[in-house]
Amino acid sequence: MLVVNNLMVFFENALALNGLSLEVREGEIVGVIGSNSAGKTTLMNAVSGLIIDMRIKEIRRGGQRISIYGNIAYKGEDITGIPPELRVKNGIVLSRERHPVFPESSVLENFRIAGYLRTKKEVREVVDYVFSLFPPLVKLKKRKAGFLSGGEQQMLAIGMALVVRPKLLLLDEPLLGLSPMMQKAVVDAIVALNKESGITVLLSEQFARPVLPVVDRAYVVENGMLTLSGTGADLMNNPEIKSAYFGV
Amino acid sequence: MLIGTTIYALINTAILALMAIGFNLTFGISGIANFAYGAVYILAAYGVWMLLTLFQLPYPVAVLAAVGVNLLLGALIYRFVLLRIRGQALSEVIATFGIGLAILELFRYLGLVGFEYHLPVFVDKSFVIAGTYVDFQRIAIVVFSAVLILGLWFFTHHTAIGLAFRGIAQDERTALTFGIDSNKMATLSMAMGAALAALAAVFIIPLGSISPGEGYDVLIKALAVCIIGGLGSTGGVIAASFIVGFAERFTDTYIGSHWTMIVSLAAILVVLTVKPSGLFGNQKELEERI
Ligand SMILES: Nc1ncnc2c1ncn2[C@@H]1O[C@H](COP(=O)(O)OP(=O)(O)OP(=O)(O)O)[C@@H](O)[C@H]1O
Ligand SMILES: [Mg+2]
Repeated sequence: MLVVNNLMVFFENALALNGLSLEVREGEIVGVIGSNSAGKTTLMNAVSGLIIDMRIKEIRRGGQRISIYGNIAYKGEDITGIPPELRVKNGIVLSRERHPVFPESSVLENFRIAGYLRTKKEVREVVDYVFSLFPPLVKLKKRKAGFLSGGEQQMLAIGMALVVRPKLLLLDEPLLGLSPMMQKAVVDAIVALNKESGITVLLSEQFARPVLPVVDRAYVVENGMLTLSGTGADLMNNPEIKSAYFGV
Repeated sequence: MLIGTTIYALINTAILALMAIGFNLTFGISGIANFAYGAVYILAAYGVWMLLTLFQLPYPVAVLAAVGVNLLLGALIYRFVLLRIRGQALSEVIATFGIGLAILELFRYLGLVGFEYHLPVFVDKSFVIAGTYVDFQRIAIVVFSAVLILGLWFFTHHTAIGLAFRGIAQDERTALTFGIDSNKMATLSMAMGAALAALAAVFIIPLGSISPGEGYDVLIKALAVCIIGGLGSTGGVIAASFIVGFAERFTDTYIGSHWTMIVSLAAILVVLTVKPSGLFGNQKELEERI
């Protein structure tokens, strides 16, 4: 479904991604494991197309040069140069890191803003589904999103991405800063949405322990380069992974 | 006298809100301070005047045409001028002010100044309200302001584009992840702001006459109201219009009209000293959080 081939991204002269190649097949959950500044967000931005918008903004203000080489194919078509809003229309939806939500709007209004490309009826249906995935959101639906806890905002952010009805859902560090219990709730929801709605998932994470048990395959990225890849089970038993990415 | 002054203060409030609402809409959504705002206001007034006197078109048709032209003009200014300098506030101000200057000074150069350049009132009638004479035009302004503000509230809370406006105003990059195109929204926000300026002109100009100077005046008033209210906040526009609207009329009546300007400016200074980001602005709170 998604094939990233030899992707290189430079911020000015600094290399953020160095010849990265990976593949996500339809129906899979694929993980990208990497520590701070490994290049996870850069990868997500490249696949979602946000990096194209960032590049244009930098050019406009005469800021740093962002260069992108290599290519990204989605459903067999090269999308490397396609703007983000068209990728969203084609089903690639990113939930950015640190659960950004619209803080001044209520939870329900956040869903309705996220449903820009969808009809009211479609939004209502997905919102009901999101409430079944994340029951704690139900009693918060009138609350301003800015007043939710980090974990609640994360649920909301994933729910907002679902409202767009993604075919390929990109989740950038969905477990960041969550308690173990909340992490489990989010991981369970990711598995459920993959199984029940057939949404393909590419997710990034710093720590391998919570995600390796549920991913079909995972890639380990260091300094923008691929160092290891394999099935979730293989990587679970890999001693290098255990020492570097299992945390304390 | 108190009741009369209060009624006229309310009317003044409605006029100020009507003048400021378009400027505020554009700024609130896309962060663009459109300094050509006063010029497009005057442009619409001259446009309607021309269609009425030179082409003898019916009033509603002339108004629709002027609103349409302003919609287009706002969009064109964004696409051909602002797009390339987007995000650099000072360049945006200089570019839009330059465009405004060119439009207004062109009218001055063409000699379109004088009392014959005015728009007719909608209905030549007046009423007595609580012992005070109020003409139909002023009542129309109050009603239209209220309807417009309610309409805008409905638009931004219950339509896809309005909700996209709210999203992009809060977090542009996150809005982008939902397929909300920021250039499209900014184009629309400039177009709608300019169209609202045209509507404001059609309602307000019949109370006086059309002149390039009026364009600068409208820009300054819109700026003052938006700054006091906290740029980009509709609630702020309403509150600030009340403050300035009442301050002006009460000074007029009880102190003397040569003090009006000073009292309004003092009101601005007081508000900004107490709350530097305006009544409903949130920049200050953000600063404090950091
Ligand atoms: N906008 C930017 N400008 C300059 N350098 C950047 C920018 N974004 C990322 N980088 C650099 O690219 C490299 C990869 O960053 P990236 O944000 O992709 O890492 P990450 O894996 O998401 O890290 P984290 O776990 O901290 O989120 C880093 O060295 C970072 O400094
Ligand atoms: Mg990151």
